[in-house]
Amino acid sequence: MSLPSLSSREYLERLPGTTFRRLYQQPSTALAIFRRMLPHLAKTFAMALLYMTKPLPLADLDLWVRPGSKRQRDEALSLLNRLHMVTITAPSRDDPQAVSLTKAFSSSLRLALTGGGDHQSFGVPANDLETANVDVQFLDDFARAQWEGILHYIVSNVGDGMRQAGEGPTAGVKQLLEAGHMVTRQKRSGGGITQAGFSFLLQEVNAQVWTLLLLWIENAEKMGMDSVEVLSFLFMLGSLELGRAYSTTILTASQKEMLTHLVDFGLAYIPPSTPNQFFPTRLATTLTSDASALRSVAAGFDNALSAGAGTAGFIIIETNYRLYAYTSSPLQIAVLSLFTKLTTRYPNMVSGRITRESIYRAISHGITSEQVISYLSTHAHPQLLKVATAKGAPVLPPTVVDQIRLWQIENERMKATPGFLFKDFESQKEYDGCVKYADEIGVLVWKNDGKRMFFVNRMEQLRDYIKSRKVK
Amino acid sequence: MPRAIRGVLVECDPSIKSIIMKIDSEDHAFVVEDLDDGTLVIKENMLSILKMRLDEALKETQQPPSDSGSD
Repeated sequence: MSLPSLSSREYLERLPGTTFRRLYQQPSTALAIFRRMLPHLAKTFAMALLYMTKPLPLADLDLWVRPGSKRQRDEALSLLNRLHMVTITAPSRDDPQAVSLTKAFSSSLRLALTGGGDHQSFGVPANDLETANVDVQFLDDFARAQWEGILHYIVSNVGDGMRQAGEGPTAGVKQLLEAGHMVTRQKRSGGGITQAGFSFLLQEVNAQVWTLLLLWIENAEKMGMDSVEVLSFLFMLGSLELGRAYSTTILTASQKEMLTHLVDFGLAYIPPSTPNQFFPTRLATTLTSDASALRSVAAGFDNALSAGAGTAGFIIIETNYRLYAYTSSPLQIAVLSLFTKLTTRYPNMVSGRITRESIYRAISHGITSEQVISYLSTHAHPQLLKVATAKGAPVLPPTVVDQIRLWQIENERMKATPGFLFKDFESQKEYDGCVKYADEIGVLVWKNDGKRMFFVNRMEQLRDYIKSRKVK
Repeated sequence: MPRAIRGVLVECDPSIKSIIMKIDSEDHAFVVEDLDDGTLVIKENMLSILKMRLDEALKETQQPPSDSGSD
């Protein structure tokens, strides 16, 4: 699974159960969360439970899982539980534990998969005869222009020399970036981009979109908008068809207001001639795709992005850490300057060196060595690739790659994991049971059998488990 | 009944750990539980301060090798 689903999943998991019940009223939302957020095993469970009328005893569910895969089964069930898709009855002496899909989720998912109902949650195509003349190419160009504008705004905060007056995103987007600590207005210590902004820049486009949307949702809550409406609208967007006009008449007031912001982000386009229609762009329709499907579409969009700025590969790096980049795009130069000591700029090329200090600086801004290496290798010049395939050698010089990794390790003196320490167990048996359970649900970080202590990064389930042991 | 304590698990080299223990010995503001040679639990809100103090301490003891070669 890629990163974006993680961050959006984390956001969803923080929502209360009542919000979920309302979210799952919409078949499109149930389907989107189902296909985007769940690993395959969890999907299998949900599908199998979909048409069961009675709760399934957990013991029967265990028969579907190989004994060796108990950990995966527990992780899948715990995720389904956290997303409020299943309910598991509390353990008691009389009845065995049983699992069933929550009512709202199962009925919505059935509607989404097999059709029927008058829910209009997959959008209503506009039937007006006079549809604006908008094709896919235009939508891609529009989305690219809007999104590049936002990226340019973030990086142009790095070098004052690259500032272009009168361009960039709207004031609302700028405020949002500031609220999300991507940029700051304070002009000290060389520029207004922050750590969050740096890691934002190096993300995949889809991850960037999600990051920005989640920021926006948090802000929208403060402005008094209903997060359920906002979220269901987003999930609906993910199920729309690219290059088709949709009607705005079924949208609620806050969803209409949201649409204007989505236009700012480049997720939707409203033709000036027909303001009661909107077109979702590629950024929007790939929001909730399955991870693998997303790759290809996102790759297509990435190509479109780089097509505007020159060829895909433009970086040559030598074994002596010298770097030559054949580009004149301010965006790419700014990204390079995050981890390179750039020295000379020619009309079509910049040159510099990767140094210990430049990598340290990048790491202190929250960029990892892997991000740097993957950026360099994905943007490697065709010449490097040609030599590499001819010799059967790696694309980047191994010395440079290793050194970048070493520099990072040198700087990472300690690994910190927030969570909870469990100690003072009464018996070895109690300790063993708890550790085993924590390991199975995948929250165990560290343990010391001798001292009977262990550390977990999440405790809710474990607490319930310990309580249920007390009952027995 | 087992106890659960909120905190941040820090895993590091024994040498780094001894520096952390030295920083902590001044006012005992950081460490919650000393686990073993390379692991300890510290207070959640003190992590960034500890990182800062650790960087300062390391700067005093280490001389970064200068980059060779010209630009």
